[in-house]
Amino acid sequence: MHDLIQRFLSLPWGQPTDWLFLIPALLMLLAAAGAVMLRNLIHCALCLTLSFIALGILFIALGAEFVGFVQLLVYVGAVTMLILFAILLTPASEVAASNNPFRSFSFSKTLNAVGGGAVALLVLGGLLAAIFFSPHAREAVPPAQAAVAPAKAIGENLLTHTLLPLQGTAILLTAALIGAALLAKEEKPL
Amino acid sequence: MMLQVLLAISAVLFCFGLLAALTRSKAIMVLIGIELMLGAGNLNFIAFWKFSAHPELLTGVMFAIFSIALAAAEAAVGLAIIIQVHRRLRSVNINRADQLKG
Repeated sequence: MHDLIQRFLSLPWGQPTDWLFLIPALLMLLAAAGAVMLRNLIHCALCLTLSFIALGILFIALGAEFVGFVQLLVYVGAVTMLILFAILLTPASEVAASNNPFRSFSFSKTLNAVGGGAVALLVLGGLLAAIFFSPHAREAVPPAQAAVAPAKAIGENLLTHTLLPLQGTAILLTAALIGAALLAKEEKPL
Repeated sequence: MMLQVLLAISAVLFCFGLLAALTRSKAIMVLIGIELMLGAGNLNFIAFWKFSAHPELLTGVMFAIFSIALAAAEAAVGLAIIIQVHRRLRSVNINRADQLKG
């Protein structure tokens, strides 16, 4: 037992200040759990927003300031607003709920929940086993660099090495947003 | 050790997203689950970037930025589809959207 504790303590834990990122990480996981489990859709969307804010703070804590702020702008500012709008534009009508053929089959619903939970647990177990027990997990990781990604370097990189993907993303975003506007448009009766 | 803890956090976040996408019947919840999974992927990019041998090359950061842009496009199209499905079926339950024919 004493030996085990000694081995645990001799792992490369680093400084206590290296672990400050756990605060936003735990907040993020709690909010994500809320977003998945809560019944009310609005509560789910608000929990998702909190989770994204914590994820942005986590990015900033890990040294990727630009990605953190982009995360805050795009996800918190735009995507959750879109989700809230979609929730408000699609009110659950009572008629549709009572016509739902799956409402009467609680067996089907239970099966769905149990099966989905089992698949998620299996994936989680596989991922954790791969992270902690695979042969690669024992290879020495390069020490955490005091790495920062300055916005200037990112901008230069975007306009030199990744210019083609940048233009492709621009075309894709334009096409996707025009397509979304067309899809959501009210159809005129012929 | 820190890299593995970060990857474990990202794995848990991914499985929350998977759980939402698999078990909830509202279409918007499926989309929320997909967004959570994309966030977990971004966290992996940033974690591997921080512990890479050459972080000055910014590979993981560039990947994360492009992934965020693609996620925004995906969210816009997905929500438009949900609104259209609701207009047709008067419901956002994905169990009811079982026909390809309009």
